[in-house]
Amino acid sequence: MTRVNAELLKTVEASGEFNAVACMNCGTCTALCPLGLTNLPREIFRDVVLGLEEKVLANVETVFSCLLCRMCQVNCPAEVKIADNVRTLRVHLNKTLHHL
Amino acid sequence: MKPETQSRIGIYVCHCGGNISDYVDVAQVAAAVAQEPGVTISRTHMFTCSDAAQQEIIKDIQEQKLNGLVIASCSPKLHMYTFRAMAERAGVNPYQYVQVNLREQDSWAHTHHRDEATRKGIALVKAGIAKSRLSEPLVPLRVNTKPRVLVVGGGVTGLKTALALSDLGIAVDVVERSERLGGWVADWKKLYPTGQDGQALVAELEQALAQRANIKVHTQAKVTGRSGNLGDFTIRIRTPQGEQDLNVGALVMATGFAAYAPLPQEFGFGLPGVVTLPELKKSLSRGEPLQTSDGRPVKTLAFIYCVGSRQKKTAAQPQVNTHCSRTCCTAAAHLGLNLTGAYPALRQYHLYRDVRTYGKHELIFGENREKGAVYVRFDEKEPPVVSTEGAQLRVKVKDTLTRREELEIAADLVVLVTGMLPRENAELINILKVPVDRNGFFKEIHPKLRPVETVMDGLFIAGAAQSPRLIGEAVSSALAAVSKCGALLKKGYVDLEPMIAVVKTDKCTGCNACLGVCPYQAIEKTVCDGRDQVTVIPFSCKGCGACVPLCPENALDVKGYTDEQMTAAITALAQEAAV
Ligand SMILES: Cc1cc2nc3c(=O)[nH]c(=O)nc-3n(C[C@H](O)[C@H](O)[C@H](O)COP(=O)(O)OP(=O)(O)OC[C@H]3O[C@@H](n4cnc5c(N)ncnc54)[C@H](O)[C@@H]3O)c2cc1C
Ligand code: SF4
Ligand code: SF4
Ligand code: SF4
Repeated sequence: MTRVNAELLKTVEASGEFNAVACMNCGTCTALCPLGLTNLPREIFRDVVLGLEEKVLANVETVFSCLLCRMCQVNCPAEVKIADNVRTLRVHLNKTLHHL
Repeated sequence: MKPETQSRIGIYVCHCGGNISDYVDVAQVAAAVAQEPGVTISRTHMFTCSDAAQQEIIKDIQEQKLNGLVIASCSPKLHMYTFRAMAERAGVNPYQYVQVNLREQDSWAHTHHRDEATRKGIALVKAGIAKSRLSEPLVPLRVNTKPRVLVVGGGVTGLKTALALSDLGIAVDVVERSERLGGWVADWKKLYPTGQDGQALVAELEQALAQRANIKVHTQAKVTGRSGNLGDFTIRIRTPQGEQDLNVGALVMATGFAAYAPLPQEFGFGLPGVVTLPELKKSLSRGEPLQTSDGRPVKTLAFIYCVGSRQKKTAAQPQVNTHCSRTCCTAAAHLGLNLTGAYPALRQYHLYRDVRTYGKHELIFGENREKGAVYVRFDEKEPPVVSTEGAQLRVKVKDTLTRREELEIAADLVVLVTGMLPRENAELINILKVPVDRNGFFKEIHPKLRPVETVMDGLFIAGAAQSPRLIGEAVSSALAAVSKCGALLKKGYVDLEPMIAVVKTDKCTGCNACLGVCPYQAIEKTVCDGRDQVTVIPFSCKGCGACVPLCPENALDVKGYTDEQMTAAITALAQEAAV
């Protein structure tokens, strides 16, 4: 059982643009990812939106392995700026984990 | 019955291009029946339906003084009315014309057996002749229609129906059971898709209504009785002023919907802070702020969708609402958007099964997500659970979009997105015999091609009483019902098929065996020469024949299909088959 927490999203949003809440979970991004990152972006983004911080932290490597190729972003029907969101998330993680 | 010797029947066997004559020897058929008793003339045509052939037949009818016609051609579905009209133009009673189906029932069915197909063709035509010999001239039943319509229900659908009928010059009585008009919409302000004010919309309709001399509104009124038929009904209504009879030509049922009332404990219903969507919409429309049950501002709001809709039958709950209420997904998203506008810091969680914001409403769903509403999808088998911890509401849900993560949302207010049900109207349905579907909504004859007509002639349905719908959709159906009323009433009369049941008063013993079977309630008890009998209400009977075989005394007959005619036709067929 995880408590939903809106604060995480707020903090992430403070690091830059993050519009993952518009995602409708169609799965297009997962299908297109050349690295085959199955939980990026839609699952990790959702963890951020719902405030499931532990899940996000368990996937830090995935966040940093994304190529930022934008294959997903140009094809997202909900206009989620996926690659930009990944960047924002990296900034957030750098700040909180590595104090950069 | 007409004595056989007087029959002067013309037989016309059609080639149908080759559709019939490629497989049936039409010349042989025509020759084989030429000597049948009552037959005056027997010919073939390449296309009987062509104008030239019709002219020839009309000439025959007039020169040979024919009084009966048998055309052996295609299915009556295709050309019965063509040939009836031709008979009428030539001066033969259209109901003394018999169509024999030599195409679908013979040539097309037996393409490899020319001889047998020809033999069958002869038998079919002989049966037609036997039926024709016993045919009687019939006249359509003419009803003089009343240019007045009763509209039951004074919601947006009913009001719009009344105004549009009034535009056509048809007088209207609106019967509304509550003390005010407008139905649900009168309680609401912002409506999707345009953001228009519901109360202003109703006020606009009421103002227009007040300008019309030919619309009468009866509030706190109910229908208490019905008699008469299509075009000429007498409807009794009761108002606080007393009872009165309204004489109308047609009825439009616009009784709208009821919101599903959750059961105690259903998704926490009954706990402080658990409300339904219509309640919340109403309270916000009254200008009340969004607040918790104890008056604090709401920071987190959770919606639970599909409450009371799309239910699955179980042993414990056999009577469920299986339909999707269609409007609620959009209504909830729209309310969410408006709330984001009014309370930008508000967090919203929309717990749904499937999002059905069809058509243009998809934009509302999209905008609501973009503005920050979080959609969480649950499986119907694992619905959310609402509980309280002190003053705090907690909603537990398994989110199928995140590996079925079990989430807990601390909410200040939980909104149950309740569906649309038909209003409780058992008495009205019984009095007016309105057909209903398995969820209790009024039922049309054909959902695509006859969407506002019912099996009860002259009784039309419209609006949310028929199925969950938006105002725009409800009004479209209202206008469809108006045009059906106009088509029925503007001419001043309507001609009905005369092929209806008749009671042979010398045979009916009043046993009442037939009473319950008539689907149109066309059979009534009566007293004839001091004896108990039944009688058939001509304008209500549709000639379906359901009552005929039930009568132990053979006292019922359907005109145009009398026992005598059918027996003669079958006998003719059997004699041919025995040859
Ligand atoms: C939560 C919610 C939000 C909605 N929001 C929108 C929106 O934003 N935009 C939109 O287009 N649509 C919306 N709708 C749909 C809209 O409410 C309906 O389309 C509309 O109310 C249908 O009007 P109606 O006249 O058919 O029914 P109703 O509004 O139900 O009116 C029926 C009338 O008939 C009367 N009546 C019933 N039985 C009898 C009887 N036996 N004798 C006499 N009178 C009787 C009732 O008293 C009532 O006045 C919403 C629906 C819901 C549930
Ligand atoms: S393509 Fe866009 S909408 Fe679809 S799952 Fe990925 S982020 Fe969400
Ligand atoms: S419109 Fe949406 S909330 Fe309403 S019953 Fe259908 S799916 Fe459920
Ligand atoms: S023929 Fe059909 S409609 Fe007519 S009285 Fe008999 S059962 Fe009723």
